[in-house]
Amino acid sequence: MAQERSALLLHRQLGELMKNPVEGFSAGLIDDDDIYKWEVLIIGPPDTLFEGGFFKAHLYFPKDYPLKPPKMKFISDVWHPNIDKNGDVCISILHEPGDDKYGYEKANERWLPIHTVETILLSVISMLADPNDESPANVDAAKDWRENPAEFKKKVARCVRKSQEE
Amino acid sequence: MAEEGTLHYDPDKNYDEETLAQQRIIEKQIAGTQDFVTERLDFSVLEQEYAEDPVYIKKVRSLKSKYLCLRKTRGDGNCFYRAFGFAYFEKLLEDQEEFNRFRDVASKSKDVLVSLGFPQFTIEDFHDTFMEVVDKVGSQCPLEELHKIFNDQGYSDYLVVYLRLLVSGHLQKEADFFSNFVEGDRTIKEFCNQEVEPMGKESDHIHIIALTAVTGVSVRVEYMDRGGETTNAHDFPDGSTPKIALLYRPGHYDILYT
Repeated sequence: MAQERSALLLHRQLGELMKNPVEGFSAGLIDDDDIYKWEVLIIGPPDTLFEGGFFKAHLYFPKDYPLKPPKMKFISDVWHPNIDKNGDVCISILHEPGDDKYGYEKANERWLPIHTVETILLSVISMLADPNDESPANVDAAKDWRENPAEFKKKVARCVRKSQEE
Repeated sequence: MAEEGTLHYDPDKNYDEETLAQQRIIEKQIAGTQDFVTERLDFSVLEQEYAEDPVYIKKVRSLKSKYLCLRKTRGDGNCFYRAFGFAYFEKLLEDQEEFNRFRDVASKSKDVLVSLGFPQFTIEDFHDTFMEVVDKVGSQCPLEELHKIFNDQGYSDYLVVYLRLLVSGHLQKEADFFSNFVEGDRTIKEFCNQEVEPMGKESDHIHIIALTAVTGVSVRVEYMDRGGETTNAHDFPDGSTPKIALLYRPGHYDILYT
């Protein structure tokens, strides 16, 4: 029951995104037979270090979506404080509300059942432009970003170039 | 987890994931032992629960003098919504006039939410499911079917989400009034995002006031806690004639029947 419902909703969301694309990303399925696994292409936001890049990422939806959030993983290399070295995106909107273990994430940015693929990706795009270095998933990237902007810029530029070749 | 008094922090470990995994195990354990909404139960279940507790036993007796039986709900933070939803829909099965009133309110509620800025796309999904169940009630489906719907997680959680959205919408619509009752320096919008819309967040007076106001359904809550000799009834809104009765024990709501 819960499964049919989430599949139906994901089909509708995908159809809607195909019909009315949202600026900044495009979305499709990894495998046409599995509605729970999406592939998205995020365009590096203009006027940021990521401008010019095309970053591929996967979204994995649980069967009880939208009650529970999907997981997101970048397939392209992205040097960013909130994306860990395996590509896993660590952003509060993809986490369920709960008591904040470290007290760094405001609960109002947490997962809500009314969020959609669009609201998730818009948050991720804004995260690219504006890293949150209080809760880094990639500690080295956070350190670069804070203490050595030139190095950070160089590593990001490398990711952007690489993403253009993929 | 860490040993007593020491915290071995491993930077390569994802603690958030670990907490969530543990939370899911606990959820599963609860799910295995307790329906979302039980059958009607005799008060002896409460007497057994409090066999060693003279204060509560006295209160169970006072409840028994006012009510026939109860249904328990699962303690997953959604119990108020689930108890309210089930008790009221059960009532609607035998009250066509009240059903007609409520169906109208429920059917218009989507546009109200959309006008408040909720995304139409997602609201529609929850609203459609909510109305599907409302119409089942309208067709006077057997009580067993309603009971089954409320114990089917797919349906049941969708109903809870929609009731939460109704509460959130009402609080935001009447933000000027309700902002006086929100603790801390949070806006109503923040309060709704943190304490109303997320699943599993428990309900307080402000949620009950909002849900009874937006649905037009009066509720009696019998408060059973440590103080006093008997349970204390409170009607929402004050002075109204309640359609349903709920039992409140600290942190939890169940359904009462007269």
